[in-house]
Amino acid sequence: MNAGTLVTPARLCGTIALIVIGLAVAALHAVAGSDGFGVLTSRAGPDVHQILVHYSWLPRLTVSLIGGAGLALAGVLMQQTLRNPLASPTTLGVATGAQVALLAATLFAPWLLGYGRSAIAFVGGALAVALVFALAWRRGLAPTVLVLAGLVVNLYLGAVSLALILLNQEKLHGLMIWGAGSLAQDNWADVIDLAPRLAITGIGAVVLARALALLDLDELNARNLGVSLAWLRLASLGLGVFITASIVSDLGVIGFIGLAAPAVVRLAGARTLGARLLWAPVFGALLLAATDLLLQLISGSNAALIPTGATTAALGAPLLLWLVPRLSAARSAPRPTAPPPIPRRAAPWRLIGGGMLALAGMIIVALFAGRGLHGWNAPFALPWSETGVWRAPRVLAAGAAGALLALAGTIIQRVSGNPMASPEVLGVSAGTGMGLLALIWFVPGASTPALLGAGTAGALATLVVLIAINARSRFEPEQLLLTGIAVMFAFDAIQRIVLAGNDPRTQSMLAWVSGSTYFVTMHTAVLITAVGAVLVALAWPLGRWLDVLPLGESVSRALGLHVTISRLALLALVAVLTAAATLIVGPLSFVGLLAPHLARLSGLARARTQMAGAMVFGALLMIAADWVGREILFPVELPAGLVATLIGGSYFMWRLRRI
Amino acid sequence: MRPGRFGVGARRCAGRRALRWFAGALGIILLAAAIPVLAADATSGPSAGSTPRLATVDWGLAQDLIAMGVTPLAVGQTSGYETWVGQPKLPPGTHNLGLRSQPNLELLSQLDPDRILITGMYAALKPKLAAVAPVTTVDVYFTPGPVWDKTVAAAKKLGRITHRPQAAQALIQRTEEAVRHAAQRLPDDVAPLLVIQFSDAQHVYVFGRGSLIGATLQRMGLTNAWQGETSRWGSAQIPLSRLASVQTGRVVVMGPIPVGLRQRLAHNRLWQSLATVRNAPVVYIPGVWSFGGLPSASRFARLVTAALRSAPASGPGWPEQTERSS
Repeated sequence: MNAGTLVTPARLCGTIALIVIGLAVAALHAVAGSDGFGVLTSRAGPDVHQILVHYSWLPRLTVSLIGGAGLALAGVLMQQTLRNPLASPTTLGVATGAQVALLAATLFAPWLLGYGRSAIAFVGGALAVALVFALAWRRGLAPTVLVLAGLVVNLYLGAVSLALILLNQEKLHGLMIWGAGSLAQDNWADVIDLAPRLAITGIGAVVLARALALLDLDELNARNLGVSLAWLRLASLGLGVFITASIVSDLGVIGFIGLAAPAVVRLAGARTLGARLLWAPVFGALLLAATDLLLQLISGSNAALIPTGATTAALGAPLLLWLVPRLSAARSAPRPTAPPPIPRRAAPWRLIGGGMLALAGMIIVALFAGRGLHGWNAPFALPWSETGVWRAPRVLAAGAAGALLALAGTIIQRVSGNPMASPEVLGVSAGTGMGLLALIWFVPGASTPALLGAGTAGALATLVVLIAINARSRFEPEQLLLTGIAVMFAFDAIQRIVLAGNDPRTQSMLAWVSGSTYFVTMHTAVLITAVGAVLVALAWPLGRWLDVLPLGESVSRALGLHVTISRLALLALVAVLTAAATLIVGPLSFVGLLAPHLARLSGLARARTQMAGAMVFGALLMIAADWVGREILFPVELPAGLVATLIGGSYFMWRLRRI
Repeated sequence: MRPGRFGVGARRCAGRRALRWFAGALGIILLAAAIPVLAADATSGPSAGSTPRLATVDWGLAQDLIAMGVTPLAVGQTSGYETWVGQPKLPPGTHNLGLRSQPNLELLSQLDPDRILITGMYAALKPKLAAVAPVTTVDVYFTPGPVWDKTVAAAKKLGRITHRPQAAQALIQRTEEAVRHAAQRLPDDVAPLLVIQFSDAQHVYVFGRGSLIGATLQRMGLTNAWQGETSRWGSAQIPLSRLASVQTGRVVVMGPIPVGLRQRLAHNRLWQSLATVRNAPVVYIPGVWSFGGLPSASRFARLVTAALRSAPASGPGWPEQTERSS
């Protein structure tokens, strides 16, 4: 923006191209020895250096260029069609679908792998996207619904993946390298496979470009111009999904490029869609190639694998954070349309009371029903010291965490007026997860208090980053969520790097990150409940703010609300609520997204009734999830956070059809 | 929602009532939980019998125990043990504790072991497990020193814990004997060995000095062809291309082998041009639990010798001459 005419897409790409050439020369010499160019130009012979250059190094460079270009192109198509500056090629579930398909095939039908890894991954990715499209079909593939459906499907399939990995870590670790996007090549097959597909996508994008440019207008105008929105969206997204699925299947999960390349060229001055379609792929190709070459040079003699895809995403996170304020300022997209109103319930407290009865029933089940050494036990067959003493802290902690996340979710959804907002999306829970990961990675065998400390530190650090970046925009909700999503990307990437490493540390990491109540003691459970009670007491009087803020900034100000202060106060509250809950149920629980929606969909429209209803639903869901997770595969325990995602996600998808 | 609907006051009373219910519900759980916590403090001390009933999360410790003739009461992820460790077999009746990183506490307290064994990796479990039974850490990879000595020391410590020092000593002797025997039966002039395990078709683990595999090679008098950096567990995870830097040596591929790997290798020019692959035929051995106890060491020594004896000592490494099961 302020760079003015100094930076143009062409100059930017030219600079990076020079960097790529420099790195390529250095990397070539590292691979082929002193006479790099001689080896490159001679015909491939039996010499190992020649083979390395011609069958490993050169295809890898080519494939990184193709992959980067394809992902950037997909990113342009997705962002244009979904009207969302943070849409990425994997927003609609391609990568997670491919991953689940590969994991499931490896575990349950290994003979399928005989057809090739790429084919299975492609089918899985396509199925996931088909599910997202089906969920959003009735609303004409409206961007808001698509993004929400994509988010839900991503979270859901991510939980399925994590559960499978948790139970079968040794068997699946080869796939984790794919999941982290190592670009290592040993022949030209991937290049031959991907190059024509990239060409097809490019041609398709050019054909669609004129119609897609109309989407810069708002929905009504576009329709008046005679564009069939649903079919246009289907064609454009289908094209993006096709190239993404191809790249993900062959090369693995590569983050950041597809998201960042279109955004960067836009900031560099590619204002029109045509310009972005041209420059984003060029920039994406060079960016991925540069990163990959750099990582090859760095990894040199390292004992640990440095997978390019995930490392790019992790390294890109700070850049993404830097981009966020600039992106929101430059954004031309119209605000997402609010979800349609749900008829208000006449007697909300009756519903909430009913929910509480269900909650009480679930608590009794969770405390007294369970399996043991000899299968299911009668409720009081075993002494409390062998059952209840272990269950009580977990039930209490799960309930408290569920209620707190639900409250946090209600607040953030109301403040932002965005139905896909949730405490998870705010990034605080991802920050907690990163704190845990860092400690487990660098100090394996750390004690429980140290881990809790590291998690809290991570949450606080994220909060500081959030405030620092968003202070200037006075905590404008949409920008806030973009910041949070950037933090989430970093967490996801780091998690993928750790999983690809697959050493014994992975076990502990999975145990902590996937959100188990296992490590909760009665002390922590009581503490979290007490903290939660105080926070609820703090949140309750803020109900009026929450009724006013969704009406928009100008209305709020007209009604006498100090928008910046109220947003900051509510944001801080959400962050503390989330950090407290995440330490117990992990960063992936999904309850914060789900429970407020359940409350809203059942007609609890007012802030306070929605808060109360969401808390009851949240506690109920978490306690149920914790119980199911403990009993379903006994003695193996599935983490409550994962089960909550699976239960909640299924229900949410079912409801989503009718939004 | 319209601006006209701001009157919240009417609902305030109902809100308080709901909050009270919620607080009440939480209070009930608290109460229900607190009483037994206070009451459950009186636990039984360790029994004075000969062999204590032991539970362990770690497969390596379980291997040592079983090899010493001690049947562990319970082991983490028993089905995984059968797949990945295999030898020695788990005695029938060994209970499954669930995930190694989260052993089932209810089951554990119902089993009521005399002692629970963990390694340094599972330190975070200690406070939880200590509520069931005394916890002892028997560690290898979080203790400084050569890995062979630490593995032997771990077996000795298990001997003391089980009150069977002579069984531990016998296991150590048996292992050293097996390794020596395997070494004696090796063909003449064995090249330095490059022991790898495939993650997928393009990435391998290679075992270096700090690993039990590397230590066993050393005790067999063999040279490890991998002199590069390794992790805490003595291995490195690398793409195949990094193996090009290893000029001398012979490749030993440890199972399990990913589906379809052999077909891919048959068309992989990089693999076929590696000096270590061209030098001599590639040798395949079944999987060995590389983070394991002494039985893993003797198993590895036996398998390597058997494989080297039945493979041609020299000649072109490619195409592969025989298909052996893995």
